[in-house]
Amino acid sequence: MPTREEILDKVQNVLVEALVVEDDEVTPEATLVGDLGAESIDFLDIVFKLEKAFDIKINRGELFPEDVFTNDEYVRDGKVTEAGIAELRSRMPFADLDAFAENPVVQDFANMLTVTDMCRFIESKVEVTD
Amino acid sequence: MRFEGKTAIVTGGSRGIGRECVTQLAREGAKVAMIYRSNREAAESLVAELKDVPAEVRPIQADVCDAGRAREIVDELVDEWEHLDVLVNSAGIVNDGLMGAMTDEQWRSVIDTNLGGTYNYCHVVTQIMITQRSGSIVNLSSTAAEFATRGQVNYAASKGGINGLSRALAKELATRNVRVNAVAPGMIETDMSQVVRGIAGAEIKKIIPLKRIGKPEEVARVVVFLASDEASYLTGQVVRVDGGLSLGGY
Repeated sequence: MPTREEILDKVQNVLVEALVVEDDEVTPEATLVGDLGAESIDFLDIVFKLEKAFDIKINRGELFPEDVFTNDEYVRDGKVTEAGIAELRSRMPFADLDAFAENPVVQDFANMLTVTDMCRFIESKVEVTD
Repeated sequence: MRFEGKTAIVTGGSRGIGRECVTQLAREGAKVAMIYRSNREAAESLVAELKDVPAEVRPIQADVCDAGRAREIVDELVDEWEHLDVLVNSAGIVNDGLMGAMTDEQWRSVIDTNLGGTYNYCHVVTQIMITQRSGSIVNLSSTAAEFATRGQVNYAASKGGINGLSRALAKELATRNVRVNAVAPGMIETDMSQVVRGIAGAEIKKIIPLKRIGKPEEVARVVVFLASDEASYLTGQVVRVDGGLSLGGY
């Protein structure tokens, strides 16, 4: 059972490999898209590497619920609706969505996922030792 | 030895163009897993023929329509080999008939094997090659995709699909240094074209500028080139190997 530190360490290693960035760029607050330059294909690699590193299975849409953004009920005029925000909160309890919820522009969503969010996601999938 | 230290999977590897691809890759140093559906004798005869090649040639029985089996095979090979450098999707069938009389089974069998099989192996191998940041995929298409032949709606659709899949996948994987190309053979001396050649071989030769039917090894040489590092700047292409058949005109 990993500690939170060990999870952060492994997540950082995954991101360094997947995104070809330096260790010191992968801070807990760094956003995957904005700060670390992740593109959609990089998310595939990140998921594969996380699955291997933690011996877990990550289902499609579990880390990044892309189907929410193609649902009329959840997106209107380029912004996520209240129902959409509620759906995102329910599907992504590991992510801090408060800042996004203040101005929920769809295009900005990808940029809000941080390294800490990734760690919290892993913590929700594995047993953690304090 | 362009493929020394490299590993490859070839579907449809026991016969025809696939068989030649296995042969040429193996003779150039690659470890090759040859996927065959049912002709065990053909697969074993190829292994025997290649007994003196530098690296392993492994026959694996599987129907390319079986996505679960594709994942099992690729996962096991990559666990053992630690990397996968080349995928050649050569498994394909014909099941000709005019559209008005075509059965659902005729349609589905060709689409599921030719296009579905290509998808199944590309899907699993893509995940490996994305992580590796290297690899080359070559899909066998056909000039039938673009140059219409009566009685081959299903075959043409499957090969047209392979062209589209190959181009789109090339775009997706380019930033990960994975190249994807297709080879579109014309009329080639294989079991698949035996019936057509028997009926209309002489007529077909007249409309081919090079005035002859192609050999499987001639197509395989292009597949293997595209799979190799010599084609390092080639991706998203459909290369016709057809003796000039697609030039049309007079």
